[in-house]
Amino acid sequence: MARRRKQSKGEKLETNMSAMIDIVFQLLIFFMLTLKIVEPEGDFNINMPAQGQPTNPDVVPPFPDIKVKLRANPDGTLAGLFFGSRNLGIGPAAFEQLNIEILKVIGRPGDPITKDMAVEIDADYNLHFSNVINAVGACTGRVDKRSGNIVKYIEKIKFKPPTPQGGAA
Amino acid sequence: MAKREPNATPEAEVDMTPMIDIVFQLIAFFMVISNFEQTQADERVKLPRDALAKPPEVKVEHSLVLNVGFYRDMKGEKTDTQPWLFNFVDGEPVLPLSSGGQLKKEAKLFGAKGIDLKEVTVKVRADSEVQTGIVQELIKLCQDAGFETFAMSAMSGPDE
Repeated sequence: MARRRKQSKGEKLETNMSAMIDIVFQLLIFFMLTLKIVEPEGDFNINMPAQGQPTNPDVVPPFPDIKVKLRANPDGTLAGLFFGSRNLGIGPAAFEQLNIEILKVIGRPGDPITKDMAVEIDADYNLHFSNVINAVGACTGRVDKRSGNIVKYIEKIKFKPPTPQGGAA
Repeated sequence: MAKREPNATPEAEVDMTPMIDIVFQLIAFFMVISNFEQTQADERVKLPRDALAKPPEVKVEHSLVLNVGFYRDMKGEKTDTQPWLFNFVDGEPVLPLSSGGQLKKEAKLFGAKGIDLKEVTVKVRADSEVQTGIVQELIKLCQDAGFETFAMSAMSGPDE
């Protein structure tokens, strides 16, 4: 026993690393190549009741729909954002104003009555879709600047059936 | 010089440990961030951006993704004003307004799998420059096919 211990004392255990390193590099290259950077995407749920379905006449909505109109220039850019009949203008400021107007209507975010409220968006046929998303975003809520959380306003979003292209705007 | 034996060349030993450490770190990193989930998203669609678009907390179980976008060049400029429905029928783009038949087929497929169409969310991934009317008409075609729940996708982030 004593002799064996003496022998193994100075020996270095050598493992053959090359096989492992081969595999590890293969794995590394595989994961590097399959990497796909995807930006996070979010969804807006919209309420699209099927047209032509008989609506129950006994159920009267407690609140009339809030009407938001989006008018387009011939090139598809926004010509005017209307809240009811008021023109809020164009650009990001108009959508911010819409957000403020919606807050005025609902009074307090998170109030149970907001569940019964709905926004009807009436957009021109040729309007760029990004404006609609911004309008939907302005109606559904805002991001709280301090906490970064979403403050929800109105979640029910409807769309007015599209006027055929070339029709009266 | 003569004293040295010809076979006794000193073996060059490289310490592999730090390299293996780093390589394992890298593998772990790439494994964690890689996403193998098969998404039906099409990268040709330039989604609109909105601060309110936050990734859903609960994943939708059944969904039908509709990618409406344009052909774009390397710079991201539109090469054609006609929007197409990408990644829908055998990878071939189709005109959004002539996809009614295919949507009905999709609805039948869901039915054959025993999935109620009420549980299927139609995710509309429309390009920011697509005409709103086309998106609405496409949704109308989906409704005709029997789909009832809709969602519109947007990139999360501050408005442009």
